[in-house]
Formats: sequence, structure tokens, C-alpha cells
Amino acid sequence: MPEKSMIQKSPVRIFERAIGGGLGPGNLGVVLSRPGVGKTGFLIGLAVDQLLQGRKVLYISTKESVEHISSFFEQVFNAMAASLGLEQVLEKQLRMERNRHILVYNRDLFSLEKLEQSVAFLEEATDFKPDMVVMDGTPRFESTETWELEGLHRLGAEWNAEIWTSSNTHRENQKSDERGVPLKVARHDDLVDVMVMLCPEGERVRVKIVKEHGSTDLPHVQLELDPGTLLLHWR
Amino acid sequence: MIDDLSRIRNIGISAHIDSGKTTLTERILFYTGRIRAIHEVRGKDGVGATMDSMELERERGITIQSAATYTIWKDHQVNIIDTPGHVDFTIEVERALKVLDGAILVLCAVAGVQSQSITVDRQMRRYSVPRIAFVNKCDRSGANPARVTEQLRDKLKLNAVMMQIPIGLEDKLEGLVDLVTMKAFRFEGENGEKIVEEEIPAALKLEAEARREVMLDAVSMFSDELMEAMLEENVTEDMIHAAVRNGVLQGELAPVYMGSAYKNKGVQLLLDAVVRYLPAPGDIANTALRVEADGSETEFQLSSSPDDPLVANAFKLEEGPYGQLTYIRIYQGVVHKGSDIYNSRTGRKVKVGRIGRMHADQMEEIEEARAGDIIALFGIDCASGDTFTSGERISLSSMHVPEPVVSLAVVPVDNKASAKMSKALHRFTREDPTFRAMVDPETGDTIISGMGELHLEVYIQRIKREFGAEVTTGAPQVKYRETMTKPVEFVYTHKKQTGGSGQYAKVQGILEPSDDGEFHFENKVVGGHIPSEYIGACEKGFATSLAEGRYIGHPVQGLKVTLVDGASHAVDSSDMAFTTACRAAFREFYPKGKPVALEPLMLVSIEGPGEYQGDIIKTLMQRRGVIVGTTEDEGFIRVDANVPLAEMFGYATVLRSATAGKAEFTMEFARYAPAPAEVAEELVQAYQTRRAEGR
Repeated sequence: MPEKSMIQKSPVRIFERAIGGGLGPGNLGVVLSRPGVGKTGFLIGLAVDQLLQGRKVLYISTKESVEHISSFFEQVFNAMAASLGLEQVLEKQLRMERNRHILVYNRDLFSLEKLEQSVAFLEEATDFKPDMVVMDGTPRFESTETWELEGLHRLGAEWNAEIWTSSNTHRENQKSDERGVPLKVARHDDLVDVMVMLCPEGERVRVKIVKEHGSTDLPHVQLELDPGTLLLHWR
Repeated sequence: MIDDLSRIRNIGISAHIDSGKTTLTERILFYTGRIRAIHEVRGKDGVGATMDSMELERERGITIQSAATYTIWKDHQVNIIDTPGHVDFTIEVERALKVLDGAILVLCAVAGVQSQSITVDRQMRRYSVPRIAFVNKCDRSGANPARVTEQLRDKLKLNAVMMQIPIGLEDKLEGLVDLVTMKAFRFEGENGEKIVEEEIPAALKLEAEARREVMLDAVSMFSDELMEAMLEENVTEDMIHAAVRNGVLQGELAPVYMGSAYKNKGVQLLLDAVVRYLPAPGDIANTALRVEADGSETEFQLSSSPDDPLVANAFKLEEGPYGQLTYIRIYQGVVHKGSDIYNSRTGRKVKVGRIGRMHADQMEEIEEARAGDIIALFGIDCASGDTFTSGERISLSSMHVPEPVVSLAVVPVDNKASAKMSKALHRFTREDPTFRAMVDPETGDTIISGMGELHLEVYIQRIKREFGAEVTTGAPQVKYRETMTKPVEFVYTHKKQTGGSGQYAKVQGILEPSDDGEFHFENKVVGGHIPSEYIGACEKGFATSLAEGRYIGHPVQGLKVTLVDGASHAVDSSDMAFTTACRAAFREFYPKGKPVALEPLMLVSIEGPGEYQGDIIKTLMQRRGVIVGTTEDEGFIRVDANVPLAEMFGYATVLRSATAGKAEFTMEFARYAPAPAEVAEELVQAYQTRRAEGR
């Protein structure tokens, strides 16, 4: 089977269709779940899918090390390559690494300004320009101001890149709205374009879309996250 | 000698280059009374620190060979395995880690967690070595032990907790406050040997109390008793000690000590912590494999008891002023002078001659040594890694030995040099499993291979200095591999009829890349189309083909063979016929699987001041480097990149001049990855030329 059609049969395509063909450049998506359910795995899955299509991904963290994140990518990449039956895996791995950059900041040093500088520097020094930016756990919604999210939108539009981030739910003493979205995130509803919730149901993790751009009719997707391989698959 | 196993500590001291590890070791030996005077690493007195026993090391100011030394601190016997501090020598580090029960991770109070600390910590994690941290060089300008503790938590994900706070820092470092006893300690006398205990200075009281709270919170996770006592406010020192020890033994807690070895501050308190918290040999579960008569292996737990049969591991060979020394760690049983022990690998009986306890390059003879101990045997013929027993066939689980990635030719200038050189190579290959030597069948040159440029350079220096052999060397060569990238079905019939009994074998199946880079053979033949007695011959046919791939003529990595069908002949089939058929099938069908040339890719980590980020990245881009990521910290930047080894020769000089010597790097083998078309083409051409010339 030609490569293209293999990527076409990836379950990520179903997810993409469900959110109206993808998040879209300049837009912000948030993945929500309790700690330890698989937000990072889900985001890296989306990133690897983009990388397999030759697009560029910038991954930003303020808590994990470069080594930790890159081995996470490798694990998801290998699982995805095996499940899609890809050939020439070694070349693809090299290409994936070429199109990916991991930026780790000291938590106290991180700011939008810093991020803007780093991305400009990367483009100048290495010709790297992201199509997708993943900011796992940053910004922290409990303390984020509106102007910061607006700034992210502006950067996303400038880079022509979509931005994914994540946030925890179900902390103690934390209030949520009727969708289950914690208020710390819900209060920025108009600045978030897509919200995805990962809901553990027994051994399985259901993927639920709780916001899809401006749509009032939320799509139901029959997708799960496999807690073993951290890959998306059909229910 | 100390008989009580619980009073033995086998520890290592691991660190980034220049963190002051050798100075620290020197001070430990001084305070424990093993040496009478203190020398510095790059000493002006020309004596050098005692642990760096090789001339070359002395010159470079780095420690290459690990030496075991023993000393006594407060009724505890402490065996110190000095571990080398350069990644090119990781096998040495790993071997040392294997025989350790615990370790001190030395960090520089200014530079903090550096690239090497990360590598060393990863190795310790791999062998589950409990560790305590020592933040050295607190007398230097910019020292900040609290920040280093944070880095241990952030970068190494260690549950690091400060057990002390400094009294003054930088050139005002006066002493330490111990957060367990809540006392202040100063180090007086010419060499800091007099410890004066006093009340905590008023200015530090609040900070000490706050830090103690943090420490108790972290430590109480390992003791219910302590947690209750905290609620009732009757915490005792013993409770804290017990809880810390528990956390350390589980590998879940890393207590942080501090001071300045150079300025003689804090070393004795660190030693107290070593005997208090690091495990005794009996606290650690070590396992071994017993080889049964039928060749099967059963795993069992070593007892650490001197009354059980002997199990000991030769972890280091060293040629010293006393002749050939074999360092062994005794896991159970006893070794007596004059007794017989068995080398489990060779099956040979060996007589124990003299037994020594080594103190760097001085030696003390003893009559016997028992479980838990680390000693040196004289004149024992064995290879590094061998297991000695009382007669049983036992092997300690094998250590991970990486394949060499770089090689170069060494040519002796004359016959005399040639004899000396082969003696040297013979010794090195037994000492170091990652160092190989072979004769190139084409050129007749001697080729040595190892884990990096520096690794080989050190051995060449040793050939010249220790063995007095004059040699010239060729340029370093990368060791390439090849693999196929897509599955291929094969059918091959091997038939020969030349009068008398012929040869017949037919094999059919699939050749494909394997997921894990290893060779796999699967037999799915049903109905006896290939009689089961020939299956082994088939596997052998493929396995022996791997040494020379048909694309660039280099070893094949990661091949999976599935045999699905075939045919045999009642008279003409044989092992040989099937082996030949499989070899021919490989030759014919492997090239159809889109083979690629693979080159070793190194994970290169560079650290330096933030302003050099651009310059650092430039050096990597010029070397076909792929940047994995960058880490930004206050004023500092770390760049991790995958760079082909072929591009890394001479990199140290390049980096130095690009960053005014302010950046440093470490390099580790990452994996084999496809080489770019230009490189592959050259290799293909070289292979075709070789074949055309019939070599």
C-alpha cells in the first residue's frame, strides 16, 4: 500500500474530521484530563502524525527533560509505525527528528517573549519553522491572564501554526462547568478553539470533544486512547 | 579487618570532569588516616593525588582507570571504587557500578548538574545504585548549593533534599549547619581535621528551621514512625536517620551534602552520611545464574554470607607495579590465600596466591577475604568479567557491552615495536571488552576499535608509554552497518549432481527488517517439508551471512527471517546443503529488500553560556547534526543533537575555538541510522571495487 494511504487510514484522521478538518493555524486547542491519563501521549500522537506527513513540530516543556520527551516520541513513533505497517522506518525516524524541535525552559524563565525569541532564533539558525506547536502543561490555566492567551493566538497566526496545550481536571476543590471543563479553563472559553477531554472508563480511555470551534452541535467520535501504546484507535 | 557485614560499604564516587572528585577522594583517604599528606590533582609537588595511578591520567588531570581502595571510618570499612569521568570510558564506569552498593554523586556548586552528571546518573539508575549527593566547591564564586539541589530535582528527577545548609558561601564559606542535629560545624586545623561543634549562628536560625521542615517532610515519607512523631513533636535523631536510610535504600531519596574538598570543609560529615545511609552488602539483593548440567540456567539470589559457597566477580584487571592484579568483588563465601577457586567461564581451577587490599598504588597483604569485600588477587589468569566459584558453574548476569563504533589502524615502526605492541593489545582487550584489536585480512594492518576517538587515543598513548612501542596511526574510521528496509519473499533451490551423492535443499520464506535491530529466525515450516533436523542448519546459513551484507559489504543489522516452506531429498539433503541454500538465498534476495547503509549516530550534548547558542548550533549544522532539543536555564544553554560519528572527529577543538573554550560536550552512541546518499554511494563503490578485485 502506498505510504499516503497508510497515513490516511490512521485514526488521527477521524479525530481531525471530527474537529472540522483540524485545529487550524493560529488556533488554540486544549486537551483535558486527570493527571496520568495520557494527555502527553495524546499530544505526542498528534505530533508524530504531523511529522509523518512531513510537517514541522515544536514541542515545548517546562518540566520534562529533552531526553525524556524525545524517548517518549520514539516510543509513540515506533508504536505508530508498527500499527500502520510503515516501511523504511529508520529513514522516517531520521526525517521525524529533523522536523521536530524540543525546547525546554526553566519554569521561572518561561514567557511569551522568550518563546517568540526562541522561535525566531530557530528559524534564523536552522531554518526551522513550526506548523504545529505543542505546549504540554504550559500556560498554566489557573494563573493565565487573558492577554497571554491572546498573545499565543497572535504568535500562532504569525507562525501560521496551530497550538495545542493541556490542562489537568478533577483536582480537589476545583469547580467545573456542565461539560466537565474546569472553570480555570472555561473562563477563557472564547480564546480556546477546540477542547478535548480524555475520560477513563475502566481500562479504556474515551476521547470526548467538548468544544469544536464555534459549533453548537458537538460531534461524537468513536475513538479511544490505548493506555498501553498511547495510540488512538477505533472503539 | 571488620567481620561484620553490616559495617562494610562498597561505594563509588561519580562525577562530571573537574567537579573535584579526585580531590574529594584524596581528602577522604586523608581523614580516614590512609595517607599522611595531601597532594593536589594537578599538583605542583609532582606527586599527584593518590587515586590517579597512571602517568597519563596525571598529565591530563583526569581519572581513567578505576582503582579500588579501602579505608576505615568510624569502625566501618569503606571500599572506594574510583570511577572514570569521561563518557568514552563508560564501560569502565558501568563495570564499577555493577560491583558497588552505593555511590556519592559529586556536583560542582557553581556549574550544578552538567551533561556528564546526567549520563552518570542514568547509568546509576540502570544498575539501581542508591546515591547521596555532594555539592562540592562551595568556596567558589557563584556557588549555590540550593540551586544545585533544585537542579537535581528538575533535571535528574531525583528526590533530592538538603541535609545541611552552608555557613557563608564562596570565599566566606566557614562551615555547615546539620539539619538533623541542628548544630553548626566548623573545620579547623591546618587541614580541617578538627571538627568544632557549636550552636547555629543566630543569623541562620530561621533558614535552618525552614530547611529542616522541608527535609522532614520529604524524609517522613519513608517512615510512619517519624510521621507520627512529627505530629506529636517528639522527633528524635535516630528516627530521622532510619527514615533517610530507608529512602536511600529504596532508591527514592537522595540526601544532599555540601562543602569544599579543596578547602577541607564538609568531607567528614559526608563520610558519616556514607556509613549511616548507604547500604551494606547484605542490604542489596544481587542475583546470579546457575548453569545446570543440561545447560539450562536458573536465577538465584546471592546470600552475602561467608558460610555459603564462593561467588566472586572479577571486575577489573590491572597491570601495576605489583604485576598483574585482578580486582574481585566477593558476593558470598570466603577466599583464602593458598586455596583453590574455579573460573566458571573456563572451568579451570586456579590457585589463590597473595591477596591484597589496595590503597590506590600501595598494597596491604591479607590472609583471607569474605563476602561483601573487594580485594585484589595476584597473578590470576582470567578475563575481565569472569566469575569465580567453589566449583559450581555460576555466572553473574552479563553486563551490557556495546559494540565498538570507531576504528583505526596502528602500525609499529619496526619488529621490536611490533612485539611490544601485540603484548599491549593482548592485555587491553582482556581488560576492556569495548576495546577490540584485529588484523585486517586485506591490508595486513592491525586495526583497533572502541567507543570513541579519545578512547582509542588513550590506548595508543599507553602502547607508547607503558609498553615503549613506537607506532604510527591511521585516520579514525567509522564502523558502518547495513540493513534492508522492506520485506522480500524468497524461494531458493540448491541442487548439485556430480556423481555419487548430490546436494539438494529448497527453502522458502520471508526476509524482512526486524523491529529491534537484532537477528531473529522463525520456523513456520509445517508437514515436515524441511525435516526438523535441518532447521538449525538453515538458521546457521542466515546467521553466518550477516557478517557481510551484499550492499556495502558491512555487517547486517536487524534482519528477521521466517522460513515457511521448503523441500528435501531423502538421500541428497544434508545440513550442508541447507546451510548453502540459505546462504545463497540471502545473497540473491537480500539486495531486493532496498538495503541501506547505516552509520553510527552519536547523541552529543553541549553546554555553555547562552550567548554561544548560535555558535554551538552552527558547529552542529556543519556536521550533519540534527538538533533534538535545546534547554534554556539562567544564562546557560544545553543543546542535544544527533550527529553522525564520522563528522565528530576533532570536534573538541572546533567547539573550543567556536566558544572561546566556554562550552563543553559529552558524546554517547545513540543508534545506527541510514547514511545520506553521498556516503552510501561511496561505500557501495568501495565494496564493488573490492569484489571486482576478488578480495
